Amino acid sequence: VPRKRKCALRAVGVGLLLCGGGIYGSRFRFTFTGSRALSPWRVGVQGRRCEMSTMFADTLLIVFISVCTALLAEGITWVLVYRTDKYKRLKAEVEKQSKKLEKKKETITESAGRQQKKKIERQEEKLKNNNRDLSMVRMKSMFAIGFCFTALMGMFNSIFDGRVVAKLPFTPLSYIQGLSHRNLLGDDTTDCSFIFLYILCTMSIRQNIQKILGLAPSRAATKQAGGFLGPPPPSGKFS
Amino acid sequence: MSGGRRKEEPPQPQLANGALKVSVWSKVLRSDAAWEDKDEFLDVIYWFRQIIAVVLGVIWGVLPLRGFLGIAGFCLINAGVLYLYFSNYLQIDEEEYGGTWELTKEGFMTSFALFMVCVADSFTTGTVHFMSPL
Repeated sequence: VPRKRKCALRAVGVGLLLCGGGIYGSRFRFTFTGSRALSPWRVGVQGRRCEMSTMFADTLLIVFISVCTALLAEGITWVLVYRTDKYKRLKAEVEKQSKKLEKKKETITESAGRQQKKKIERQEEKLKNNNRDLSMVRMKSMFAIGFCFTALMGMFNSIFDGRVVAKLPFTPLSYIQGLSHRNLLGDDTTDCSFIFLYILCTMSIRQNIQKILGLAPSRAATKQAGGFLGPPPPSGKFS
Repeated sequence: MSGGRRKEEPPQPQLANGALKVSVWSKVLRSDAAWEDKDEFLDVIYWFRQIIAVVLGVIWGVLPLRGFLGIAGFCLINAGVLYLYFSNYLQIDEEEYGGTWELTKEGFMTSFALFMVCVADSFTTGTVHFMSPL
């Protein structure tokens, strides 16, 4: 065995020994003779530290739960919707039509002929129908996900009921406190409940997972169907 | 029309609907890069916002920066940094992408939610360390 490899193996062995010894030794508490009993203040501090460590573990757990539920939702949607031929065909059609319509709207001017405007209106109508069909196809998975998540949320709510899972560095607005301080004891409004953190995690993680997996709808299709900050663009705007 | 100089580049392949290939990131820091595909550029803006949200969330939680000043600071820095990036560094024509507002709101709500998660997690972590035994 080459010398360097022997040294590396020896280092790994020593490291494992130390770790094992450390884990074993942490079971014992050594006190010096004549040491004083812990003061009530220190007992309180250590009790509080234990509570905060649990809170930190809860925070990580909720992020992990959020990732798992997002993957579960996408998995269910893939099984029921994404892999079907009808969905693939409709999606390709909607994306093609959206891009075509967008390009046409960019090039057309206010003084364009009536025929061209009518053509755009017909294309918008066709796109709207395809979008509606696409939404109907996705409805299946929405029911399944809704059913699963109702059961899961019931379970998680009972597990985390009354537990402060995180501390917020700010006091939420009064109408959000109903969510952020849900079922928590005390008046400290910087305490965060499970449901608030879970909603924030889902809002951020689910969309990022969809983008990473390439399952997010295209921007053109989203724009034509209506985005978060506004209604769909008005049809027939050139008439 | 954009005032920046553009070199012609072969079209870069892109994964569907939001995931980016490694080759796209090699264009990100080059001010003379050409962005033929609008979606590709918007995806870069989107992921930059997420990275800023994570970084600022961790820093804000560790400092900690309390109150709505922290949230307002995040919104300003997030919007400002990206604006400087695409307007001054890349010198793109915002009208090609629907205007400054479209570029500003690209991925903003998702990054805000991610920032809130990171700030809550890092603030809670910071509080745990503060309470370590004396």
